[in-house]
Amino acid sequence: MSIFKYGSHEVFYQTYGEEDAPVIAFVNGLSMRTLHWMPMIENLCSSGFRVLVYDMLGQGSSSKPVLDMNFDNNAEVLSLILDEIGTKQAYVSGISYGGVVALKFGYLYPKKSRGIIPISTFTEMDGQFKYLAYNLHRGLTEIGFGFYLDLLMPLNFTGGWIDEHSNVIDFTKRIAIADMEVYGIQNVMEQLASFTNITDEIAAIKCPTLIMNGEFDSFTPRHLHEIIRRQIKNSRLILVPKVAHAMTIEIPDLCCQIIANFIEEVESGRWKGDQTTWIANEELGAHPVAIPCEGDYLRYIPIELSRERYEEKRKAAAQKVARPVATKANKPVEPKTPAPQKAAAKPKTATKSAAKKPVAKPATKTTTKK
Amino acid sequence: MPNAAERMKLLAQDFFSKNDLGSEQETRISLFIQAIKTTNASILTKIEFQPFEWEPYKSLHKQYFKEIELSTLLNKATNWSTNPFVYMEATQLNLKLWQMAEVNQYMQRAFSVDEVFFTYLALSHAFMAEVRILPVLPPTMPLNTPFLSAIQEIEEENGRQIQAQIRMLKAIELPISQEKKEEIVSKQQTVVQSCFCDLLAAVCKLPEERKG
Repeated sequence: MSIFKYGSHEVFYQTYGEEDAPVIAFVNGLSMRTLHWMPMIENLCSSGFRVLVYDMLGQGSSSKPVLDMNFDNNAEVLSLILDEIGTKQAYVSGISYGGVVALKFGYLYPKKSRGIIPISTFTEMDGQFKYLAYNLHRGLTEIGFGFYLDLLMPLNFTGGWIDEHSNVIDFTKRIAIADMEVYGIQNVMEQLASFTNITDEIAAIKCPTLIMNGEFDSFTPRHLHEIIRRQIKNSRLILVPKVAHAMTIEIPDLCCQIIANFIEEVESGRWKGDQTTWIANEELGAHPVAIPCEGDYLRYIPIELSRERYEEKRKAAAQKVARPVATKANKPVEPKTPAPQKAAAKPKTATKSAAKKPVAKPATKTTTKK
Repeated sequence: MPNAAERMKLLAQDFFSKNDLGSEQETRISLFIQAIKTTNASILTKIEFQPFEWEPYKSLHKQYFKEIELSTLLNKATNWSTNPFVYMEATQLNLKLWQMAEVNQYMQRAFSVDEVFFTYLALSHAFMAEVRILPVLPPTMPLNTPFLSAIQEIEEENGRQIQAQIRMLKAIELPISQEKKEEIVSKQQTVVQSCFCDLLAAVCKLPEERKG
């Protein structure tokens, strides 16, 4: 367990993996703690990455300030922790509320941003999203933390996942209630009340940005991710099939595959931030990792692409990839009509089997900054 | 490194993973929580002298009656011990809480928006935030006994009430710095944490040397 002193507060963080490996920092969602990233940590470390996780102020093992909380502190805290572990540049990924922190980090600390991976997130709150947040806040403060978790359940997960895990849901809820300091979560939520639109600001993000949106995410729906895609020139939007908001918990291995592929593309110089939209291959270990998305992906109704046509395209893309192709000589693709991704010469792919390998023990440290 | 309070909670978790709650344990817990609730209610009786328009009135009025309601609920749900020493030790702990939290200073005059009122709100916040029994019980322990369902009801209500405390603590305008306010909040948390640790030590009958 490592502790970073931020003013009078303590921020809990942990690093995993080899010190000289590319760093991926994960930023928690609202009711998360570092433990929730564990399946992804094991997978990504086994694939040759170094992973940093931390609890934001108000969460998990970090201090829960009663009065002194500011949303903008979160990106600063991350920046200072990166300094602390001696990392000049990192890939920063965050989910939901953490995705907003990752985006803020992207424009507030451009030199430290090697790449940004916002997942299931937003830059502005439309009427529907405001009501969802309002209901959650009321549920938390007027009924209780248990009800708040119940409200989140169908927003975070698909029905299939809930059915599959119904035997452990009550148990994990009890653990969550025991682990969380309610006032810490309430304080973090209160920050959302003063949240201001950052849509204009994210246009300043220049680093490669992979935006991940679950197919069935009704909490932060597609149009909120579309706003991010349009604003960030060096971006791509990837739609992840058959998952809801909390995809990093629902399908951690597939998320690792997508993230590892993104980093591999950036590191090898094959990344094209062309503002195109893709559909992730839902099969673990399959190539290509994603195929171009056609049709109006902002609609629930599949107006322009039938299931048969989708399968045809998926198979065609897979066949194309099977051919050995030089990578850097590829022609640039036009936005909106993306070409299929070429197969990467993948030294280490994040797969389910990788997740079973042992992970380096985390370092322990206590330091003071600020 | 976990601090003393966190270490005590871990020890209590370990204890309850091997032991059920008996009447002595229920009695100690109830006497401590009832002391908090009745202390808070005693302070809050003065709220009825405040005008309805006073901003904190409505939430403190609600809190006053909730504290009485929950204390009586616990009274009915507890499997009371017949061991007189349990009551004697519990009284000592409650007196310690009164002294450490300087409860007498809140009893003497009407509410007004000043540092004493802010300190009281911070104490009340600490009561609700720090005194939590459910987190030290195994998540598999059924909560369908009268005592545990009453504890659950109390902790859920605390979670609701705490929101009003946070709002008031943040909104109250005083001629003292933010650092000073943080210091007050932190001090009240430490006081309540310390007494709660003593309770857990007594409930789990942990030797003194293991508490620190």
